[in-house]
Amino acid sequence: MSPSQCPVHETLLELKKIPADRRVVHPRGRRLIEEIATLVQDIVAARAGAEHLPCIDARVAELCAFMDDPAGVETGLWLKARLAEHGEVFRSHALDRNCAASVCDHLTPAPCQMACPAGIDVPTYLSLIALGHDAEAIEVIRRDNPLPWVCGLICTRPCEMMCVRARIDTPVSIKFLKAFAAERAMSWGNYHNPSETPATGRRVCVVGAGPGGLSAAYYLALHGHQVRVIEALPRAGGMILVGIPRYRLPSDIIDREVGKIEELGVEFRFNTRFGKDVELSSLRAEGFEAFFFAVGAHASFNLGIAGENDFLQVHGAVDFLRRVALGERRCPGKKVVVIGGGNVAIDAARTCLRLGSEQVTIAYRRTRKEMPADHEEVEQAEEEGVHFELLTVAVAVTGEGGKVRALRCLKAKLVTVPGSSRQSPKPVEGSDYDIAADAIISAIGQRIEQHWFDKVEGLTWTHRDTIRVNTITMETSLPGIFAAGDAVTGPATVIEAIGGGKRAAIAIDRFLAGIPQPKLPPVPVRHQRVACFDVPAHTKMALKRPEMPLLGIDRRRTTFQQVELGYSENQTREEARRCLRCDICRRCGKCVTICKEKMGVDALALGYLSFDHPHESDFRRTEQRCISCGACAANCPTGAMRIEDRGPDRVLSLCGTILSRQPLLYCGGCGAVIGTERYLAFIRSRLGALATTTPQEGDGPQCDVCARKKGHRGGATVMATS
Amino acid sequence: MVFHKGQMVRVLRRSTDESWEDYMDGLVGSRGIVTDPDSQINDPDSLIEVSLEDRGTFRLPQDCLEVLEPNP
Repeated sequence: MSPSQCPVHETLLELKKIPADRRVVHPRGRRLIEEIATLVQDIVAARAGAEHLPCIDARVAELCAFMDDPAGVETGLWLKARLAEHGEVFRSHALDRNCAASVCDHLTPAPCQMACPAGIDVPTYLSLIALGHDAEAIEVIRRDNPLPWVCGLICTRPCEMMCVRARIDTPVSIKFLKAFAAERAMSWGNYHNPSETPATGRRVCVVGAGPGGLSAAYYLALHGHQVRVIEALPRAGGMILVGIPRYRLPSDIIDREVGKIEELGVEFRFNTRFGKDVELSSLRAEGFEAFFFAVGAHASFNLGIAGENDFLQVHGAVDFLRRVALGERRCPGKKVVVIGGGNVAIDAARTCLRLGSEQVTIAYRRTRKEMPADHEEVEQAEEEGVHFELLTVAVAVTGEGGKVRALRCLKAKLVTVPGSSRQSPKPVEGSDYDIAADAIISAIGQRIEQHWFDKVEGLTWTHRDTIRVNTITMETSLPGIFAAGDAVTGPATVIEAIGGGKRAAIAIDRFLAGIPQPKLPPVPVRHQRVACFDVPAHTKMALKRPEMPLLGIDRRRTTFQQVELGYSENQTREEARRCLRCDICRRCGKCVTICKEKMGVDALALGYLSFDHPHESDFRRTEQRCISCGACAANCPTGAMRIEDRGPDRVLSLCGTILSRQPLLYCGGCGAVIGTERYLAFIRSRLGALATTTPQEGDGPQCDVCARKKGHRGGATVMATS
Repeated sequence: MVFHKGQMVRVLRRSTDESWEDYMDGLVGSRGIVTDPDSQINDPDSLIEVSLEDRGTFRLPQDCLEVLEPNP
């Protein structure tokens, strides 16, 4: 499929041409083609149901069999071939309400939904949260992500990166709103699983109870399959349990969401290591027909420096964080040096502070600008007292009597290496110095423990030592074995693992059913279209993203209590109202062009519509300039821009944002609506000398009909609206 | 090249990396934002997460990407 074309839309255009070119002459053939066109039109306009595609198939078959009209048969065969070739795209349109090519206006997911690796329908759930319907919002989220509460606290939020609101001021705080809704729904007992489907009797084994494994287990269970999850750790959660400290994600939250998955009948076997306690052959002998590997990347890379293996006080960050997550509370040392500049280094440093370390230093070999850790995490670490030694290269761990005494370092400067666009740290000779330390933690990357898969013959690996898969289906080199998460991507994000797990579950279901696998990656599904609700333009502009309240600094330094305290209910509802509803407005800009270039009014300051060059946006400007002509609404392809008469006013709104509200004028003769004062003034200005200068005494403005009855006085009238 | 979160990028060319799949040819020319660079060690060999306008989010090799904005 061409990336810029939609086969469904193209089919509709072709079908619409047929009556005009009069190729199909027989009435029966023409009727069938018209009916097919109507059905395809429904699909394009997001009005189709599950029965539309079978109906189209039946009519196409009838057309092909109607030999009295050769042109009709030809068209039927063309349609049949098209449906066969693009069946998946037609199904995606009709059943998932999604146009991957973004051609069909009503079926194009919002940028935030497209950005989410799990494809969550963000605008829908934000609208539901704004309306106070938290349980429904969670229901929407869980169609694509079974761990909304977890993600509400730790997601890397690619959705917010693509949030169109950021082109006006700041992105909508999507992540925290999700956490609020999940907490509220769980607290009020409204966090429910979808209704169960009949059991298929097919057995699937998921290896790893991390986010990828949990996601796959959830969706497989919803498909009716019998799922067993085997996990080497004593609890579920994988990396989100042992890699993310409790001050960011309390374990109770993981437990509650895992509990919901368990309610679906998923069986968990903890303390069970694949490759040691169970093997592929033994699981196959138990009747498992498909497997999903989501084992994470739980091993640390070695530093490769002198003394690294000589002292017990040198730890790998992942091992250290795992021990703490599983209950160890021993302070690693009074003076700790963490080597690395990524998120794991920050987590390890902040954890040390909470365990009682007096001085925690992060040694990183580049500058702060190059640090790969999230800026917010770095800032919070600094607030808590973590010290940074930048442009510092570790060269040796020194000590005596089995105790670490210091980390020997060299100062570095960044130099450009020939043939590389990246600056590399070059140690400065003679600049060596010691950072006093009694514990060293290395956080320079993670890898997968490959050796557990030694007995899985035929499983292929990439040069990055990750499992090689087809990323459309997540299928490995072995039929019936699928993989996702860090085991495939290398250390990556929770939401990617969740998306990969869901994708694999769909592929496993197809594998078990013997259905061919798709050839294109899945595109997000739009589940529903929540009606827009009114927000005044000045409110839409004035609402600002709230600051996240944080735990007091003293408590942060000393305990593992959750640092981010969450929004209040009022903040949550208000923040959700900042959403621009990009699921409805496609930002095509036709409204702006029409208003500015055709009408010459320029009332729409919607600079955010441009992805490349966003400029000034101000919804309030419309109120001052709009003439309520309705040209923008008439040309809006999605119904995002609407103009309607509400009581005594004519109201222009964009996805619920009230851009203009002007009092209506009524015909002095019959009382019919004839527009607004500004609109009539605009018409008069266009008519110039033809317009009457002032209404006749006592008459007021008049509609066309009344004006004609009284005698035309220059055309300053408009058609009455019903 | 060090990629940062929030940087605007474009898929400039197909990659010769083994992780490049046929369907990704359709992504060439798309623009987007880096949503998850290698947050561990900024390894130039690692795959990074990029959200492409109207196309979705993908983890791509770095050699196929061109930075449109030096820094967010």
